[in-house]
Amino acid sequence: MVAVTEKKASAEKKVVKGKEDSKKLPAVPESVLKHRKRRSALRARRVQVTIKRRSAAVKKRKEIFKRAEQYVKEYRIRERDEIRLVRQARNRGNYYVPGEAKLAFVIRIRGINQVSPKVRKVLQLFRLRQINNGVFVRLNKATINMLRIAEPYITWGYPNLKSVRELIYKRGFAKVKGQRMPIASNTIIEQKLGKSNIICVEDLIHEIFTVGEKFKYASNFLWPFKLNNPTGGWRKKTIHYVDGGDFGNREDKINELLRRMV
Amino acid sequence: MSLSVARPLVSVYSEKSEVVAGAALPLPFVFKAPIRPDLVNDVHVSMSKNARQPYCVSKEAGHQTSAESWGTGRAVARIPRVRGGGTHRSGQGAFGNMCRGGRMFAPTKPWRRWHRRVNLRQRRAAAAAAVAAAGVPALVQARGHIIEKVPEFPLVVADKVQEINKTKQAVIFLRRIKAWSDVLKVYKSQRLRAGKGKMRNRRRVQRRGPLIIYHKDQGLTRAFRNIPGVETLNVDKLNLLKLAPGGHVGRFIIWTQSAFERLDALFGSWKTPSKEKKNFNLPQPKMANTDLTKLLKSEEIRKVLRAPNKRVVRATRKLNPLTNSRAMLRLNPYAAVLKREAVLGQRRTRNARALALAEKRGIKLPEDDTAVKAEKLREKRTKAIKVAASKKPKKPVAKKTAPPPPKKKASKEKKPAAKK
Repeated sequence: MVAVTEKKASAEKKVVKGKEDSKKLPAVPESVLKHRKRRSALRARRVQVTIKRRSAAVKKRKEIFKRAEQYVKEYRIRERDEIRLVRQARNRGNYYVPGEAKLAFVIRIRGINQVSPKVRKVLQLFRLRQINNGVFVRLNKATINMLRIAEPYITWGYPNLKSVRELIYKRGFAKVKGQRMPIASNTIIEQKLGKSNIICVEDLIHEIFTVGEKFKYASNFLWPFKLNNPTGGWRKKTIHYVDGGDFGNREDKINELLRRMV
Repeated sequence: MSLSVARPLVSVYSEKSEVVAGAALPLPFVFKAPIRPDLVNDVHVSMSKNARQPYCVSKEAGHQTSAESWGTGRAVARIPRVRGGGTHRSGQGAFGNMCRGGRMFAPTKPWRRWHRRVNLRQRRAAAAAAVAAAGVPALVQARGHIIEKVPEFPLVVADKVQEINKTKQAVIFLRRIKAWSDVLKVYKSQRLRAGKGKMRNRRRVQRRGPLIIYHKDQGLTRAFRNIPGVETLNVDKLNLLKLAPGGHVGRFIIWTQSAFERLDALFGSWKTPSKEKKNFNLPQPKMANTDLTKLLKSEEIRKVLRAPNKRVVRATRKLNPLTNSRAMLRLNPYAAVLKREAVLGQRRTRNARALALAEKRGIKLPEDDTAVKAEKLREKRTKAIKVAASKKPKKPVAKKTAPPPPKKKASKEKKPAAKK
């Protein structure tokens, strides 16, 4: 549509307000004054916001420090506790049966082709859509049975703290708005998982390693890990670990594999 | 509703193109009608079809043979062929559009729909738009008229012009109001038509010049009709094909005073419907205020907008926190403490080992050996702390578990309480 710039008709000139006394100085057009006022108001507001944001960030950093410290203690206590209980039992001539593992790390070993439908579905549910993809899985009756269905295609085991840390620090990517973003700062974690009281990487690691209440959210927040092929190679992907191969539950030995794959 | 219409005064020019003082007319409301080039084009396209003469091919063309196909088995194509013999024509293909002498594909018929009807409302709206556009000098110039020297837009001339009956006077008048350059352009544009129209009685073409709209013809048409490009129109019978030739708005129009005064009665204003056209009121514009820049900068609109997001998010490169210490500290500030402990612990064990080995082997280490120096420093410090503690008044000293992250310098500070 042609804009009828009312030229010959009442052309509204920019109302010249400003300094009324000035016959010497040129009057400042109203639009410029409004622009200036708006900009200065914006700037003042932005300064306030920055101050607030910075103080909040400082507080948060202190909190993160405290939490990380507490977790270090907690892990140490856990480790020593296990050892202590074993020794105690041995002293009494008794046997200590440690609790069954709660956390598993599952890696998909085989590729895409010629996969039977049930197995395919299980792998999809575990988010293992690509070879050498890995996810953290909480172990309960349901998931253990799922792992059994997909056994020939996966290898899994119980990761230790070092494995968990290495995975999340080196290969940890977050699922943000459907995108795979590197975990470059704690704000990414806080925005997504702040509701679950997870505000930093250490919180995330803790939640995953100790399979807390918000394990589901923490683990789902992480994009499935894309691992390398293991340096030194596989044994034999087509048979079970127990038979000299690779697939299936290899319990603690998953850590040694992860050292070679991460 | 264009409530913001201001009606400026349009001055009237005498036939000698001097301003007639005191005879200034307010601008008719038509000139504020919305200018809709799309509507004008559509209506023009339909209207210009109405003067067409039908054409078609003869209905027997190509069928004046009794050709029949030879069928298969004769090593020729199966197209119908002319019967008989003794002439070139016999055996030639006939009837098909691909055959020489055959009828064309889809022979044109005279009952093709040549004319188009246009809704009355659309016609009137298009006329209003064309008149409005003729009042905008930018559009008239864009259409190609030479109007640099024309004194005012819209150009209104005294009624004396209607009485001009000599072409010579008409030319003088056009010269005086500076419309002659447009006519000159017409002269310059006279040329032969390209194409077969030349031999179809449409030999010469020229462009359009100014249009003179009058109220009463007292010799005006006859005076102006021999000037190439100039056309005349009665204001009661405005023709869109003349107001917007080619479907393009913005013809250069010269109004006579009485014609100009008739426009209000013909088209009305938004408040009052037209007197002459039944059930007609000027079309409502889609936007009342078309000053886009002003709108975008206005407070009312600005207030409702959210703040502009000028932050450009660029993809960050992922640095491995396990090897890159700064990346690690960004994620986990406690890592500095752990690293420091590791470094110090390593140093401590190394020193202790060196001392123990020296003792075992019975070697006395030199004074400037690192292990020895570290040991001495430690003893000095524990002694100083004991002294200071004893001097202080007996208060329960809160044991600090971890101080805030220490600076990563190579200073040999030791935590006396925690280790050992």
